[in-house]
Amino acid sequence: MIEIKDLKKIYNGVTVVNVPHLEIKKGESIGLVGNNGAGKTTLFRMMLDLIRPERGEVLINGELVAGHENWKNFTASYLDEGFLIDYLTPEEYFYFIGGLHQQSPAHVDDFLSGLTDFFNGEILKRGKYIRDLSKGNQCKVGVASCLLQNPQLLMLDEPFANIDPSTQFRLKNIVKDLNKNKGVTTLISSHDLNHITDVCDRILLMEKGVIIKDIATSSSTLSELENYFGVEQAFAAPVKIDEEENH
Amino acid sequence: MTSTFIRHELKAFWRSKNTGKSIVIRVVMSLLILYLLVNIFVLGFFLDVVLGKVFPKDDLVISFCGIILLYFLSDLFMRLQLQELPTLRVQPYLQLPVKRNALVRYLTFTSLFSVFNLWPFMLFVPFILKIISADYSSITALAFIVSLLGFTVFNNYLALYIKRKSNLNGWVFLIAAGVIILIGLSDFYFHFISIRKISYSFFGHLTTQPALALLPVAFGGLMYYLNFLFLKSNLYLEELGSRKDIKYKSSTEYPLLSRFGSAGDLAANEIKLVLRNKRSKSALIMGLFFLFYGLLFYGKPGPAGSDGFKVFIGMFMTGIFIINYGQFMFSWQASHFDGLLVSKIKFTDFLKGKYLLFTIISTGFFVLTTPYIYFGWKTLLIHFVMYLWNIGVNTTMVLFFANRNYKRIDLSKGAAFNWEGVSGNQWILSLPLIITPYVIYWPFAFFGHADIGLTLLAITGLIFIFTRSFWIKKLEADFYTKRYTIAEGFRNK
Repeated sequence: MIEIKDLKKIYNGVTVVNVPHLEIKKGESIGLVGNNGAGKTTLFRMMLDLIRPERGEVLINGELVAGHENWKNFTASYLDEGFLIDYLTPEEYFYFIGGLHQQSPAHVDDFLSGLTDFFNGEILKRGKYIRDLSKGNQCKVGVASCLLQNPQLLMLDEPFANIDPSTQFRLKNIVKDLNKNKGVTTLISSHDLNHITDVCDRILLMEKGVIIKDIATSSSTLSELENYFGVEQAFAAPVKIDEEENH
Repeated sequence: MTSTFIRHELKAFWRSKNTGKSIVIRVVMSLLILYLLVNIFVLGFFLDVVLGKVFPKDDLVISFCGIILLYFLSDLFMRLQLQELPTLRVQPYLQLPVKRNALVRYLTFTSLFSVFNLWPFMLFVPFILKIISADYSSITALAFIVSLLGFTVFNNYLALYIKRKSNLNGWVFLIAAGVIILIGLSDFYFHFISIRKISYSFFGHLTTQPALALLPVAFGGLMYYLNFLFLKSNLYLEELGSRKDIKYKSSTEYPLLSRFGSAGDLAANEIKLVLRNKRSKSALIMGLFFLFYGLLFYGKPGPAGSDGFKVFIGMFMTGIFIINYGQFMFSWQASHFDGLLVSKIKFTDFLKGKYLLFTIISTGFFVLTTPYIYFGWKTLLIHFVMYLWNIGVNTTMVLFFANRNYKRIDLSKGAAFNWEGVSGNQWILSLPLIITPYVIYWPFAFFGHADIGLTLLAITGLIFIFTRSFWIKKLEADFYTKRYTIAEGFRNK
């Protein structure tokens, strides 16, 4: 599905992304984790041809992303509010996106009725423009517009960050269902280790632009990740004190 | 605190993505201003001679006192169109321990640093020193200068007040400009009132009662205070606005446009953009204001009523939206540009949507100018030729420049503190658009074949309209070399 070759992005002499090789197979569900500044969003943006890499290339279904448009037909993504046309009402936005994929407004309405639970009555027929919605509700609009496109590849950047716990739960189920039952390849980044290990079969851990771990999710994955992110520091401090006391 | 604000503003200027472009604009602007100032200074220096020639029957001082208020009235009209509003992004300071008064004071005080406030002094002070202080006393001369100061400050803040109000509601600008034109007309056309008499009744008394100079100063102070209060209460505007605004926003569709496929959908979206955001909406309403420009010039004797001038006015009236709105393209869509790039939109359709939008709105404006047939069918013909020029050549030029615009405009922020672009600077950017038709028209008109020039303008316009698909391809290829820079600039808040 996705192949990344020798991808490198440099800002002011600092390498922010450096991925020598990465292959994602069709139907995989990938979780991307890493601290702030690890390069997750930059990697996403390069995969979507929004920024130009210094070196290397990204192929989706064997086609170069840069300079081509074909991948847009089956790729849906939501990185941030910058993806939404904020002066439209959610309905208008959905009709617009649906129209781009040759769906009639009636078809879009039909599809959206299946998302009633996910919207929790806060999106449709509220008489608000997208810009007047809260960040969490904007995220719902973004995710829903991705689902509307019937993608084969779904990319979400920190989708759990702004939404309430019930919606987080529902979103997890939706993503799992897409992946397991419809064979959609999913690529999700998050800071929530519980969610990401729950949803994804394969975890990529990024640090300073490099993928330092590529693990298949198992029962020990969560504790392994927790070790990397937190415990390291928690252990480091007492050890030092111990040494001082010993001397 | 003020010095900190100035330092922050300077940093914002130098660190912006558009610094190079802004500097070029500033340099051109300052050269123009310098030229104007020299002119005005020379005029001011010989004002006594000029007044003697223009009003040979009247006493010099009487005619001098007569023109001062007249000057300030036209000054107000100029300021409304050209004066720049001082800006500061206030939001980051609001929750900090910075006094609100300090913020507002900074905004109000910096507005005094405008060349408009130099003009009256350059124009009138030489006369006051040469004639008034010689004929009367230096106290009288001082009184004149003090009242000049008062009127200048008054005009300065009145113009800014109107501009700020009209940023929230475009009609305010139309009404204010209408009132000024009406005052002018009721003097020179209807002869109800005489501004010169009113002006003399004040400045004439000033020669005997210098203390009267405090009156305009009081007006000026009052206007300053009004501005201060308005700004201070509007520091809350962002939250107040969204809470008050509970009107139900309904969805609209434009079925006619959906016939044009994706391009039509995009154009429909952009019409919504224009109508649903204060700033873009003002651009449209300003266009309506320009429809009255013909009334000011047509039918007048001399160059103002000539066909050559109609070419200019006709282009403005049918194409003002293209110039005014188009020069900030694609910045209007900056906040969702990433979304446009990743969704299933061909850039060709994107450009076609722009052409469609411009054609629709220009057609609307052309239809609105049809009553000018009162000034002869040829006037309408010129308008039509310029309409063709606008939807053919100017749209393409505007889109060419749009590929070179990397500055974000945040439409979702309230318009009250979002003033960039409502100043003289924007006219500099539109110079190429204004000059090009003359490059074709002028040489022929000069040798007495204006009709050939006009025909050529029409033909050029038509050629561009019929070769649109070619230009769209060119623009698309150009866009692909710049898309990353544009997208990055737009992400840069």
